[in-house]
Amino acid sequence: MMQNGRWDCGNVSMADAGKEIHLAGWVDALRDHGEVLFMHLRDRSGIVQVVFSPEFTPPEVCERARALRSEYCVALNGRVAERAPGTENPHIETGTLEVLVQDLSILSRAAALPFGISEKAMVAGGAGGGVDSVAEELRLQYRYLDLRRPSMQQNLAKRYRIIKTARDFLDEKGFLEIETPLLTKSTPEGARDYLVPSRHYPKHFYALPQSPQLFKQLLMVAGFERYFQVVRCFRDEDLRPNRQPEFTQLDLEASFIDEEFIYELVEELVSRMFAVGGVTLPRPFPRMTHRDAMDFYGTDRPDTRFALRFVEATDIFADTQYSIFKQILQRGGRIKGINVRGQSEKLSKNVLQNEYAKEIVPSFGAKGMTWMRVMDGGLESNIVQFFSEQERHAVLERFGAQDGDVILMIADSSYELVVSALGQLRLHLAERLGLVPSGVFAPLWVTDFPLFEATEDGVTSNHHPFTAPHREDFNPSDREGLLDLRSRAYDVVVNGEELGGGSIRINSKELQMKIFQALGLSREEIEEKFGFFVRALDYGAPPHGGLALGMDRVASMILGTSSIREVTAFPKNRSAYCPLTQAPSEVSLAQLEELGLLQLGEAKPIPGVQEQQELIETLSWVSRIGLETDERPAILSALADARKLAEIVESRAGREEPLFAPLPVANRMREKGPAVNSPLAAGGELLKNAPAVKGNYFKVASILD
Amino acid sequence: MDSKIFSYIDPSPPAPADGGALSGKRAAVQSSISVKGWPTEAGSRALEGFIALEDATVVERLRAAGAILAGNTHTGELGFGLAGDTASQALKNGLVDVTLMTDTLGEGRVAAASAGVFGFKPSYGRVSRFGLVGLVPSMDCCSILGKSLDDLAAFLEAVEGHDDRDPSMGDTPLEAFRMGRGSSPGSERSSLSAGVVVQSLESLNAGGRKVFEEALRRVEKAGIALREVQCEDFDLFRIVHNVIGSVEASSSCGKFDGVRYGHCAAGAKNWNEMYLRSRGESFGRVLKAYLFQGAYFQFENYPAFERACSLRAKLAQAGRKWLDGVDMMILPTRCAAAHDRPAETVEQVYDIFPLTLPANVTGQPALTLPGFLPTSAGDLGLQLVGPAGGDRLLLEAAGRLYPRTEEAR
Repeated sequence: MMQNGRWDCGNVSMADAGKEIHLAGWVDALRDHGEVLFMHLRDRSGIVQVVFSPEFTPPEVCERARALRSEYCVALNGRVAERAPGTENPHIETGTLEVLVQDLSILSRAAALPFGISEKAMVAGGAGGGVDSVAEELRLQYRYLDLRRPSMQQNLAKRYRIIKTARDFLDEKGFLEIETPLLTKSTPEGARDYLVPSRHYPKHFYALPQSPQLFKQLLMVAGFERYFQVVRCFRDEDLRPNRQPEFTQLDLEASFIDEEFIYELVEELVSRMFAVGGVTLPRPFPRMTHRDAMDFYGTDRPDTRFALRFVEATDIFADTQYSIFKQILQRGGRIKGINVRGQSEKLSKNVLQNEYAKEIVPSFGAKGMTWMRVMDGGLESNIVQFFSEQERHAVLERFGAQDGDVILMIADSSYELVVSALGQLRLHLAERLGLVPSGVFAPLWVTDFPLFEATEDGVTSNHHPFTAPHREDFNPSDREGLLDLRSRAYDVVVNGEELGGGSIRINSKELQMKIFQALGLSREEIEEKFGFFVRALDYGAPPHGGLALGMDRVASMILGTSSIREVTAFPKNRSAYCPLTQAPSEVSLAQLEELGLLQLGEAKPIPGVQEQQELIETLSWVSRIGLETDERPAILSALADARKLAEIVESRAGREEPLFAPLPVANRMREKGPAVNSPLAAGGELLKNAPAVKGNYFKVASILD
Repeated sequence: MDSKIFSYIDPSPPAPADGGALSGKRAAVQSSISVKGWPTEAGSRALEGFIALEDATVVERLRAAGAILAGNTHTGELGFGLAGDTASQALKNGLVDVTLMTDTLGEGRVAAASAGVFGFKPSYGRVSRFGLVGLVPSMDCCSILGKSLDDLAAFLEAVEGHDDRDPSMGDTPLEAFRMGRGSSPGSERSSLSAGVVVQSLESLNAGGRKVFEEALRRVEKAGIALREVQCEDFDLFRIVHNVIGSVEASSSCGKFDGVRYGHCAAGAKNWNEMYLRSRGESFGRVLKAYLFQGAYFQFENYPAFERACSLRAKLAQAGRKWLDGVDMMILPTRCAAAHDRPAETVEQVYDIFPLTLPANVTGQPALTLPGFLPTSAGDLGLQLVGPAGGDRLLLEAAGRLYPRTEEAR
């Protein structure tokens, strides 16, 4: 293999033995044996060992090679030779041969490295390097070095293959890739927008798209019938470990189609992408309604690699005398459970009672957990004595219990709480008991989502307001009726992770207006926010629908990486900051001036500034700490920091009981006996430190003027 | 003696108690630790002119054990941060053998590390806080700085133990601290292990990482097995400390009224103006910003405080989990970059202590050792953090790392 007269390091083969070849790349590793110097030379294709020895290398070249250090960029000429038996290196593709160097030029030197880059051992059985112990911040700061590592090169190459596979497939199916704008209109729904100030329209802003939703629907109205795009989207959301402010979606939309078309298309698409990573997905993907997902798995993205399905037990205890269940059922509550088959050895009484019932399950929000171990055909537990014979029998039968099983139940007056806590318990148990099979991929469609979710005073869209409902004959002001509506939305889930989702859209203006009305938007608000879109529905919009896949997540799952940053060339860190370029950064006043941002606050007070000043006044007053004017900016900025802290605390807090001190505070009682004044008061010593004293009293200013 | 280092020097120290365990040892305390009859201003105008009326429990016990108290050293404002602190200089200049400091964010350990001496923060509840001018009651601790592990152990043994006057010590006393004297402190347990918190290393630059890795090799050579421990939530310690610390500071500074002691603004027309002005003039810029943050959480966003306490519970649980299988954690004491400039904001104060404050949040004991992490920015200090109550284990482990003849002097 040769390009421009240069051979690929990774593709030199035994068939080339004896040939004079030219190589270029980076010094991956060096091994110095006195007179003889071995080097791993790395380029994009792989690694080959080259050897400098007085036996075949001119003396001045040997001398030059002494200066080599890791990651120098070099070019060399040499002859391919078979390695001596016993010196082969199984860690690299070219491990049976080496290149005997005749000439070397150093193209560019490298400074001392912030971390090791080499991943391949130079000798059989040697330990390869890795960056597992390198701080991610450092890797991101020197990303161009981090990306030199073969594993990162491979991740990005595979990601390219995955996306190319998708493009090729959609092209095959008659889809056109059409670009949509990045500078768009801000719509306050959904997550926060990233805003871009406009120089030509001072005080006006573009927004970066959270998704090309409306544009792709307009492309359907425009008659393109099948569209797709690999598109960057932006969301200014709260920080989460595995989330990026910008991310890549595979966005697609088609006209004159129904759900079946999407299922068929996307299953083939996803299967082909997974095949790039050597994974064969089972087809067809099973389908599960949102209701079943909640009922049996307690989540809208169930991990179906393992069983542990929920079993309904409410009816078994309809007439129970067990007071805790009785009270919950009287309040309209529910009881559900799971049968953990054959695990009674690992789940001892102690583990169940002291770990799960007391610590783990309460951290999922449930008040408690009931456990039963199945022994000798009966139930063993701390509470089973309160169950009637009939109840015990019904439990055994309903859960299909056999000796060695462990039955866990959660009861609560709220259905949502029962399924959510049981869902988290299910995942916890699967993890702990090793029930998640490795190397298995379980794809799934989740369908029939509720169209709306309840808010304090009305409803909000579960998906987005352009999703078609199952029924069109609803009353937009009947809140209960709205909450019963199902939508034509679908999510594709693999191993408990949502890879993407979409829906069949509304193509009738009347229906679209009815949905906006249900959401409580006035005519003026609809016109201001969505006028351009609603108008398009007036002109023969075809029935259409589509879906978007999160490509970072897809690539990460196919390649089995620990985070999406491992499949992104230049990601932001967990704090949405780029350690490499140090973005975001401050900008010059001149830039702000040019954009008309300096005066922005004058015409319309910047929201928050007034409140901040008032907040300072309030806090100064309640904590009785006076402030000088020149101290205010520092306090303002400390309070801004405090708000940020509050946001982080908000986004990261779990359900643990608050801990106010490392040790429980002890009560200290005065010893029995008559109450006496402190000797320090009696002797007058307490007054000695007072700035002002009058007689036997502390002196203070009068309460009133 | 040097008054740049000492805030107050005892002109005629009382004759030490005979035959005590600390007989002949010279000690200093920070000016935030009460000694009867001494000015105890804790670096704050809020305690301007304050003369302590009673001895702190630690002072009483030091003297009973025969130590000579030379004086008290300058301290950062109410012990928050290290601006103006001189405790470690007294030690470095050979003026005393041991010095006591309050430790809210890790001031004791960071000062010790910078000065190249030993610094120990005992388990929360082991040493009485009665008589300490505190700022954050659930995190403050009395830490001990010294030039030898033997001194640390002897002083800890002298001052620790139950004190009825400190209700934060809990009703169940910690197992008493006893170090076999004379025998090598490392001789007690045959095998020891330590966990390296991967996330704690993110603050180090390339050079710092290199010396840290070398230090780990020395630790392994001394027979302490190492294991990497992941702590995804390491960044939360600082956040939780800031939220809870500011609230407790705001609350505990409520006592500074300028009436019973401290600074009182002159000429106030009424009661409210007197408070506003006296307190406004009493607190420095950084501490004032901290108190406003605390007031914000107390009065405007209490749920955030509760959530921070909930996270504190999570971190304490996590802390116990990391120690499941290892005897202690090992990490640097300070990061080099933060020390070039004096801290001018709360954030910059916290920038100095990200590696020490976790032990204040969880109440675990922590020890900084000199000589392991020399860098161009000075000694970073090698920090061991043990399980709550495991103070002795830490000192034993440290003993192994210093062959007896080479102990830092």
